[in-house]
Amino acid sequence: MKGLLHRHRDLCERAVDPLEIAAGLEAHGVTDRTAARFRHRDVFSLAEEMYARVPRDGDTPARPEEAPVSRPRGPRAAGVILALLPGALCAAAVVCLRLTEGRPRLIAAAVGVLAVALALGAALRRGPLRAATRSTSTWACWLVGYALLGDGLLDNALTGGPDGLPDGTADDPWPVTVGPVLALALSYAPAAGCAHLFTAGARRKLASSRGLAEFSASVRPLLLGTFALYVGALAALLALTGAVLGEPAAHPQGLTLGALLLLARLLTVHGHLHASRLVLTAAAAAEAVALAAPFAGRLPGCGFLSVPVETLVAACGPAGVPTAACGIGALALLVHAARRLTRASAHAPTERTR
Amino acid sequence: MDNRPSRHLLVRIRSSRCEPPGQRRLPKREIGGARVRIGLLTEGGYPYVSGEAGLWCDRLVRGLDRHEFDVYALSRSEQEEAGGWVALPPQVGRVRTAPLWESVDDGIVHGRRARRRFSECYGELATLLCATTPGSPSAAAGGKAEEGAGGQSALEADRFASALYGLAELARDEGGLPAALRSETAVRALERACRAPGAHSSARQARVPDLLTVAARLERALRPLSLDWYEDDDLGSVDLCHAASGGTAALPGLLARHFCDVPLLVTEYGVRLRTHYLTEPDSSPAIRSLLASFHGRLAAETYRRAAVITPGNTHARRWQERCGADRAKLRTVHPGMDATPFAQAAESPECADPQTLVWVGRVEPAKDLVSLLHAFAEIRRAEPGARLRIVGTPSGPEGAAYLAHCKALAAQLFPDEADGPHAVGRNPVAFEETGGPELPTRADAYASGALVVLSSVVEGFPSGLVEAMFCGRATVSTDVGAVVEAIGGTGLVVPPRNPRALAEACVALLRDPERRDRLGAAARARALELFTVEQNIAAFHSIYLEILSRTPVRRVVLDETGEPLPFAVPAEAHVPGRWSDPAARGTARGGPGSPRSAPGWATDDPVRATARATVPATEGAAL
Repeated sequence: MKGLLHRHRDLCERAVDPLEIAAGLEAHGVTDRTAARFRHRDVFSLAEEMYARVPRDGDTPARPEEAPVSRPRGPRAAGVILALLPGALCAAAVVCLRLTEGRPRLIAAAVGVLAVALALGAALRRGPLRAATRSTSTWACWLVGYALLGDGLLDNALTGGPDGLPDGTADDPWPVTVGPVLALALSYAPAAGCAHLFTAGARRKLASSRGLAEFSASVRPLLLGTFALYVGALAALLALTGAVLGEPAAHPQGLTLGALLLLARLLTVHGHLHASRLVLTAAAAAEAVALAAPFAGRLPGCGFLSVPVETLVAACGPAGVPTAACGIGALALLVHAARRLTRASAHAPTERTR
Repeated sequence: MDNRPSRHLLVRIRSSRCEPPGQRRLPKREIGGARVRIGLLTEGGYPYVSGEAGLWCDRLVRGLDRHEFDVYALSRSEQEEAGGWVALPPQVGRVRTAPLWESVDDGIVHGRRARRRFSECYGELATLLCATTPGSPSAAAGGKAEEGAGGQSALEADRFASALYGLAELARDEGGLPAALRSETAVRALERACRAPGAHSSARQARVPDLLTVAARLERALRPLSLDWYEDDDLGSVDLCHAASGGTAALPGLLARHFCDVPLLVTEYGVRLRTHYLTEPDSSPAIRSLLASFHGRLAAETYRRAAVITPGNTHARRWQERCGADRAKLRTVHPGMDATPFAQAAESPECADPQTLVWVGRVEPAKDLVSLLHAFAEIRRAEPGARLRIVGTPSGPEGAAYLAHCKALAAQLFPDEADGPHAVGRNPVAFEETGGPELPTRADAYASGALVVLSSVVEGFPSGLVEAMFCGRATVSTDVGAVVEAIGGTGLVVPPRNPRALAEACVALLRDPERRDRLGAAARARALELFTVEQNIAAFHSIYLEILSRTPVRRVVLDETGEPLPFAVPAEAHVPGRWSDPAARGTARGGPGSPRSAPGWATDDPVRATARATVPATEGAAL
């Protein structure tokens, strides 16, 4: 018996119940006839004795063989280049816009938008911001489009315009504010970095924490920290683009829009598509209503429709509309993310059998 | 044929038993007057080309062409699904498939009441999984008598069943179960159960990643609960569910039994619980303990609810008994093998070289060819003219290395030898493969030798040995796995890892051609009686009839136009036993094992109408 125990010590020590020992013994060729030599009726009762004989101090944490936590691989060259690509392409497009005139400018704008969209799509398909499900790109595009053209259009609409299409410059009657959009495109790289930091940190915490409550408590500062890091980076980029392009730095609307997009993406990546889609849709709808209200107010007898927007613009300027819409949305998403992304189930590894 | 893939999980509405006549599927076939539709439940198996138990199920379906089969298949991987199906015979009425490899999310978010229902059921399930298993000594050491422990385990089995069916009912009523099983509620319930007093010691060590893994694996295992198979026109319309394996494949059968009262037959050639223990070596103790507990309890519940359980061999039967299967329900049905390729070899014993031993199989370390070579060295000492043919292909890189090792050993042990000074010599041990011009099939390999040897140290059901028995060859084999069960008294059996005993047995048979022939003929007779496809199919046929004769069909009886026929089944048909006739009642009490004259449907008049056709099954049960 001792010899048998010694031979199968490994099996007996890691078994969680006698049946596991029985299965292992049978795989090693032990049959009922072998068990009869140890005065047992069958392999099962032999396994039970072996299970009982092996000292098993289950209360001492016997995990010296702590499996090395599979750390997410560090950013690789291809990933870094992909993350930088949208910003670089957007900068190139802005330069082209500035240097060209008339029809070539139109072509440059179209090509630039297409290139940035493609690069962004490619970057989102891999890396830490990759989502398993279909995402909310339509509403995100609408929000970015508003940041580009919306403020000028609203301004014009309130003063009786617009009288023509924008020509792509900042000093047009319908100015195109490329500054915040360029900053947002450039901030894709820090956003990916922050998401990577968050994922890696959460996975580390997952491996080291003992309970779900402890995990939540330790992840919450991590989430807020990475979020603050991104907002800081975006603020710096906004100031930089404002200075380089000679536009007034559009801090509030750019910051709120960036925060909203990052939080929506993080929630989507971790499987909470519903909330992010809802908030993005609501923000986009609010902006659309704000744009439509002045035009509706021009109809006879409907002047009251444009009053709220006029009040808001009079108080904070045309930037107040996107700031309010995106700010409220971002705040709601931040509260939601602080509850949802600090749960362990949001960081469960997804497996897929091929 | 209705081959919709069941990818889209719908919110199910309880349908009535009477569907509109246009959608009603009337059974087309009948056996002995009772029309039977069998739901074949497989997991990673039958209709897929790469399925493991495909051949067996295919033979069963083709062999029972008077039954009607509906196949409900769970696929294990995307590759398998891409591989396509085998050709299906016409008796397969419909095939419904569902993937187990893809996480399906129906986008339904539970309301408050559904959440509470879920957390109650899942919490109960988690508590049971973390509790000390009934079989372990720490639970038995309570000093209680056997009775107390039995009552305790029955109570726990009931709790497991109610939790499982509670989850299934939730999935049927509300949907959204996959998301709920992965949610924080589920993980929290697991954590609470692991930290509760009385939890298993290895469960108490569970950490957050372990909990997440267990939740994900449970979600995967419970995926059949979310399928839309349990309606009256799906599994509700079959007369009998036949699960081709235990575990996840039997889960739809359990639910069909729960929702629609369809009897369940479980066939297990390899016990799923044992496979689970063997395939889970690297996970942490907490994961292994919780999942083993789940699989063990699921197996116990399956065995408890099944009408009949058919293990493939005594080994599986022992495991099933150990997991709580009732002995009265167990019927061993040996796997069937096609005997026709071996008939010619059996009829021509003279083509065998009387000095040649043959080993046929896959080359791998578990076959212990080394000890066979050492035994052969001893045989050569007694019988210098003996030869050994080792026929087989290596399995995997490990097998290839082992084959090279064996070849080197053979070259060392036995020098090449020639008949005379001018002939080319050859080694007495030949390593060959089937498929060439010399040995086209395995049957030819068996036929070329007078004696077939099996030297394994680990073996499940020895199909090679059965093939040798079909060929009418005498065998010498080691006592492993189901060898003794297969060979019975028709061959010599020696202990494993004992070359001397193996050699002595071989020499005894080599020197005694008469005994060899006698044993070979007996082996062939035994194999033809026990291991042919025909016996396998006949056994399942009679088991189907047996189950149906005990199960009243509570289906709406239809007339010729497909309209429901009110009052077609008399009220007393629902009473067990015929209360007005004491003699017949006595027969019914005799139970399934007792001899009975003839089933009710067999003595009845020829069937006239659809309505009449469905009633006899009821009468057969009431007889």
